[in-house]
Amino acid sequence: MKNNGIQLITNGKRLDGRTARDMRSIKITPNVVKNAAGSASIEWGNNKIIAAVHGPTEALPRHTANPDRAVVKCRYMMAPFSSSEEHGRAGMNRRAVEISKVTAEVFENVILLDQFPGTEISIYVEVLQSDGGTRAAGITCASVALALSGIPMKDLPYAVSVGKVGNDLILDLDKIEDNYSEADMPVAILPRTNSIVLLQMDGAMTKEQFKEGLAMVIESGKEISRIQKEAIRAAYQEPEKEKAHM
Amino acid sequence: MKRIIVPGDLVEDKPLHLMDTFIEENKTYATVISIYDDEKKSLVPLEGLWYPQRDEPVIGVIEEAKLNTYTVQLSAPYKGIIISKYTEGKIENGDMVEAYVKELDKTGTVVLSRPRVLHGGKIVIIRPAKVHRLLGRANTMVKQISDGTGAMIKVGMNGAVWLKGGNIDIATDAVLRIQNEAHISGLTERIGNMVKDTAPKNASEPQAPKKHEESA
Repeated sequence: MKNNGIQLITNGKRLDGRTARDMRSIKITPNVVKNAAGSASIEWGNNKIIAAVHGPTEALPRHTANPDRAVVKCRYMMAPFSSSEEHGRAGMNRRAVEISKVTAEVFENVILLDQFPGTEISIYVEVLQSDGGTRAAGITCASVALALSGIPMKDLPYAVSVGKVGNDLILDLDKIEDNYSEADMPVAILPRTNSIVLLQMDGAMTKEQFKEGLAMVIESGKEISRIQKEAIRAAYQEPEKEKAHM
Repeated sequence: MKRIIVPGDLVEDKPLHLMDTFIEENKTYATVISIYDDEKKSLVPLEGLWYPQRDEPVIGVIEEAKLNTYTVQLSAPYKGIIISKYTEGKIENGDMVEAYVKELDKTGTVVLSRPRVLHGGKIVIIRPAKVHRLLGRANTMVKQISDGTGAMIKVGMNGAVWLKGGNIDIATDAVLRIQNEAHISGLTERIGNMVKDTAPKNASEPQAPKKHEESA
């Protein structure tokens, strides 16, 4: 299948040898940052991301505080060396502002915010190396970091993207597929209820393709959830290192 | 059988009123990482934040003295305040204080009462979910460390632990070890072996200065 001059699928195999429904390998490491309330790193294919959580703390500036509940703030940043394109050197660009916003909204749906009125919960997602699908990987990683911080949540969200090449749907797009596919749809799901908490789409799909894509996401989510839970349990297999002194 | 559960995991197929859980469609789900014992129906949180309860002790540091209140840094989502007219003696910025929760007001500030300045010593912060393990049943665990090392220990429910005197280094290590190994069985015995007879010979005297301090 040729797409904008680049053949993304040859004999049923993608450029990196995966089939349409294969995900890249995922490895999550818990508690990578000592001074954060909770943290984790993820290696999702060639993506390398660290997520750390602070809070709940007093919401600053004060006008951002909500007297009835906590506010979730997220900063998604790509390191200047993370990609061959221009990122991060001049602070957050429009893309980073957008991804920060949607990531915060994902977690607003699961954190029990009413337990901490007037406070803020800060989530930092730092992309060290990117190869497509970093917002999905960032959400999956931040979810583990939040759980490790002890902030009460109703679920452990995960995210993955699905895309379209010709008439084929492909799961977990990498950078080249992201750039040259006809559609790219990152989705975040709450696995307990299969509720959608993030749905974006770049390009176009038919209604049937959309439904099939969602089914692929939910099917792959079982494996992602398993990896998340395994990473959390691994944090309690052996003594953790000491936390910070006052 | 004991199992580690994560947020969103099913605790029981029926509604159970346990801390750190929520009930939806007559089923109970976890909200924090915990260990759940299916037979005893008991849930022990491995992580979690501090929720102020009336009359429980907290330890903090005076952050700012205002006209008629002191604000207290509690290492928690909430800031503490002490109303000046309830204080006895002088309190200054940077003082470590022990106080009791009077109430949590609507603005998320913890009003504290009966403040007492803690002179000397240091504060170690542990995660609030581990405070009960540090105290032990009827305070046996903290007493064991205190007896073994000769250190004075006060535990704030906000996760701040004040230590002074005795073999403070071993006492600090023991406190942090309890935090890190709270979920591993045989902890009481391990801590017992760690702190046994480690107190300086005259525990009432401050610990002998270290060599490099003598030469300074």
